[in-house]
Amino acid sequence: MKNKDQNKEERILNSLEGMQKVNAPDFFYTRLLGRMQKEQDRESKPFFLLRPAFITAALAIALVFNLVSLTGFNKKQYKADTVKSNEPTTIESFAKAYNLQSESVYE
Amino acid sequence: MTEQEIIEGLKRGEALAFSELVAVYQDRIFNTSLGLLQHTQDAEDIAQEVFIQVYTSIHSFKGEAKLSTWLYRIAVTKSFDFLRSKKRKKRFGFVTALFSDGNRPLHDLGDFCHPGVLKENKEDAAMLFKMVSQLPENQRTAFILNKIDDLNYREIADILKTSESAVDSLLQRAKKNLRKKLAGQINK
Repeated sequence: MKNKDQNKEERILNSLEGMQKVNAPDFFYTRLLGRMQKEQDRESKPFFLLRPAFITAALAIALVFNLVSLTGFNKKQYKADTVKSNEPTTIESFAKAYNLQSESVYE
Repeated sequence: MTEQEIIEGLKRGEALAFSELVAVYQDRIFNTSLGLLQHTQDAEDIAQEVFIQVYTSIHSFKGEAKLSTWLYRIAVTKSFDFLRSKKRKKRFGFVTALFSDGNRPLHDLGDFCHPGVLKENKEDAAMLFKMVSQLPENQRTAFILNKIDDLNYREIADILKTSESAVDSLLQRAKKNLRKKLAGQINK
């Protein structure tokens, strides 16, 4: 029994004897060139954030944001100006606004 | 075309040199990848990657080793990288299956039947290949390069960047491990 097992073991270990070399699949070179071309095309494509569509969209968003904030700021400024102009302008209020109320220069 | 002419041509980006390189080495590189990966389609993919790598990094080839040695080295490295990534994918099979295109099965496809094995040895060879795939990486490489690619100890030593005696020791250990595994399998 042990002898039989050893024979089988030996037979399996030697099963690669007389093995033929295998050829690469047909059209290996053609497929290789195709793959290289595909990879080259993929590399030459710009990063998606650099595509014109994305750049235009980003610029448009930035422009809209700028316009909105600019008009908002102008409105606020106008409001502040109108409120101020309604207040009576006195020397005290002017001094208060510019912090000129202290009496001594050493304070 | 001599090896030197191929290298010079590749460095100049000549298509003729590249086609010559592929024509000379495609079978050898495919055989090595097939032996290590035990899967025809994967072996072809890896062999293609080897030639793409050579094409893109030929300028880093200093000529210290033979061109064939460099090619074999790339093939071995790429094959094991592929096997490792396959193992990783298998570990996270459920998660990757959710995001993959589903074209490639991640599970093993059963016993590998090497197309170069003699008809009468097919069954035994399938068993042997199964055991070989369980060997440690360096032993498996030495075994495949010696038994399938018919390389001598000197050539294997150059590829593995080691000595001939180390290759001999690797092959002895590989055979010992195979015997042990086979004995366990036969007695089952």
